[in-house]
Amino acid sequence: MIRFGHIIIATAVVVNLCAVVSGRHGLPARENTAKIAAPQRFPPPEFESGYDLPPSPAAPHPRQSIYEYIDVAVLLAALILASYLVLKMRSRRAIFVLMVFSLVYFGFWRKGCVCPIGAIQNIVLSIFDRDYAVPITVSAFFLLPLIFTLFFGRVFCSAVCPLGAIQDLVLLRPVSVPDWLASGLRVFAYLYLGLAVLFAATGSAFLICRYDPFVSFFRLSGNLNILIIGACFLVVGLFIGRPYCRFFCPYGVILRQLSRLSRWRVTITPDECIGCRLCEDACPFGAIRKPADEWSATEYVRGKKTLALLILLLPVLILFCGWAGARFKNVTSRMHSTVRLAERIYLEEAGEVEGTTDASLAFRATGREVKDLYEEASGVRGQFAIGGWLLGGFMGLVIGVKLTAVSVWRQRTDYEADRAGCLACGRCFKHCPRERLRLSKKDKAIS
Amino acid sequence: MVRNEIDLWHGHPGRVFPNHRQDADATKAVPPGATTENVLVGLLVGVAIIICVVAVWRLDVTGESGSGLGKQFTYDIKDMAKIDPNLILYEESGRPISTGFAGSSAIVVGPEGSLYVAGDKAVHMFGETGNLVGKVQLTDKPRSLAVSQAGEIYIGMRNHVEVYERQGNQLATWDSLGEKAVLTSIAVSKNDVFVADAGNRIVLHYDTAGKLINRIGARDEDRNIPGFVIRSPYFDLAVARDGLLRVVNPGRHRIEAYTFDGDLEFYWGQFSRSVEGFCGCCNPVNFAILEDESFVTCEKGLIRVKIYDVEGVFAGVVAGPEQLIEGGAAAVCEFPAQGQAVGFDIAVDAKGRVFVLDTVKNLVRVYSRKKAG
Repeated sequence: MIRFGHIIIATAVVVNLCAVVSGRHGLPARENTAKIAAPQRFPPPEFESGYDLPPSPAAPHPRQSIYEYIDVAVLLAALILASYLVLKMRSRRAIFVLMVFSLVYFGFWRKGCVCPIGAIQNIVLSIFDRDYAVPITVSAFFLLPLIFTLFFGRVFCSAVCPLGAIQDLVLLRPVSVPDWLASGLRVFAYLYLGLAVLFAATGSAFLICRYDPFVSFFRLSGNLNILIIGACFLVVGLFIGRPYCRFFCPYGVILRQLSRLSRWRVTITPDECIGCRLCEDACPFGAIRKPADEWSATEYVRGKKTLALLILLLPVLILFCGWAGARFKNVTSRMHSTVRLAERIYLEEAGEVEGTTDASLAFRATGREVKDLYEEASGVRGQFAIGGWLLGGFMGLVIGVKLTAVSVWRQRTDYEADRAGCLACGRCFKHCPRERLRLSKKDKAIS
Repeated sequence: MVRNEIDLWHGHPGRVFPNHRQDADATKAVPPGATTENVLVGLLVGVAIIICVVAVWRLDVTGESGSGLGKQFTYDIKDMAKIDPNLILYEESGRPISTGFAGSSAIVVGPEGSLYVAGDKAVHMFGETGNLVGKVQLTDKPRSLAVSQAGEIYIGMRNHVEVYERQGNQLATWDSLGEKAVLTSIAVSKNDVFVADAGNRIVLHYDTAGKLINRIGARDEDRNIPGFVIRSPYFDLAVARDGLLRVVNPGRHRIEAYTFDGDLEFYWGQFSRSVEGFCGCCNPVNFAILEDESFVTCEKGLIRVKIYDVEGVFAGVVAGPEQLIEGGAAAVCEFPAQGQAVGFDIAVDAKGRVFVLDTVKNLVRVYSRKKAG
């Protein structure tokens, strides 16, 4: 029998393969890319006069391809191990150790790159730009956590993601965030994902990498403002569990949806819930759902009416947000270098600014017509107008679905981990007396 | 210690694991001072969020705020461009000659004293007064040029040599040297033709019929030949009166002397930011040999035309940036691509005049030695 999850896996694999194939076999379509692909006009420079080449400013440094495959192998092994530790062994201690390993390996040693979160952009760009080739290892980094999430829940978040690990380690005095606030804050993650896709699709910027709050820690260098942002996340993370993962992570948005469909997932109790309420406050991420009483007839009728109204309003909300998103095209398109350059050249031509920038100087040196630049920038803005419609519509859909969810009653008789929100950290295991019983039986059996 | 471990793993300081529901409720009782603690936590989180928002706001998303580095890191060559007037031995004589090209590439003085300039898809010949006396039409853009004593014009195209007579009739087309070849200079002696191939970093020795005799300058440690270091498409050569071939090794900032058999005899030149040496990545870009066997060199980037004696000792300056570039030093090489592109060519005649081909304005400036006193 074909499950919905299987369809999702197949779709993800097909999208990924399309990205790889379109990137690898695309023909040069754009002028700038064609220039890059063109043969060198002249042999590359030689430095043989005692000149020491400075170390590459690129971080992390390019690695031998064999190490990239090793990274994929380590990721795969870590995901398998995390799945085992979360679902079978049910050991928070072991998850913690794996988390520290992942932080050291993927974070401090691999400098936080490649990571599945940023890989979203590579995949998107390779779909929209057929000249962009996405490496197979990046595809693997993107795809593996998705597949594991479909089968085992968010095991990637639990112990493999270095961004999650660094936040998990600093969580010392958790305070709970009200559900309504947490749900509202999660909208940022959807917006972040939408913007990241928009900017990647238009070839403007890799937003997720640019604003990665922890990569500066992993590389022990970086922009001061990014370091401050990372430090602020960690300070907030002392009290609010994994704030980046829960409220900003764009990859988490995808994992949340896939985790809803997962074949196996974390359970608080190893066998049955006895309703003891001991796990009620065990989760610092607010991912334990309490048993829900059946609605009264009045509540049910009211909820039904609200739901009907919201469903009717949903298209209006989507259209309105889409329209609003398109209005921002002039702002969002400034992330694209062509639009920025065109605006700068326009200001220089109009005499509204003095002097030149490196970019405007370089443009003038090319001898290109200003009119051509304006036309190109106009085309980019057109892309952002379409992207703005789609992004706005997506946000309208997200908000609409969140509102409708309030009007839907879900029967729940046991305490259980939220399918979407559970990060599979394993903190709740030992709060369950059934788990303690299981462990004591196990200990006795061993002794 | 055990308790600390539990705290770290479970994130609940001091939490015990109650065994029944009543105990669970008991743990939820608000302890004294918890409100103050919560307020402090709230304040801390609030301050962190405000700082975070300010940091996001201050981020230079597009990089247009620049590097933030001080003036000491600015690339400024104004001072280097200033040349002591006492060192300038030449002065511009007459009006510059317009080449008539949109893109000039090479200049040479013929045996009869005419000036040959290559550019676009032609070679133009000018008389003593700068009047156009002849033209040779080509099928492609020429890059280098030489004229034999017999008056045959050797033209280096991108990857092959073409030979013409003065009247414009084509005498020969030599075999292509392949896609990688970039021919930048030709020198002709009585029976030999030398072609500088910047693309392959080699000098090719031909006879006048186009038969390849030898390859000169390839790296060979046994023969103590270090090889040519060429970082931009400028690679000049000439045959001196002492019978040795002179080849610029621009990456090493020197001019090397080779026998026709390819033995490296000696070299001169050194890297220096002062006027006595050659600066930049790769200079000089072109040179010519005067009747008294002294050298006239031309540098790109910081465009300078200078004189060195036969031993390679700095003798003086023909013209500096202020004489060669409108606006002087400030206009020189504003960004790397410009520096790579602008290499002036030079030629000398029997009267000791120096002809500088301005490849930007497509003019030939004529410089004569200042009269003593």
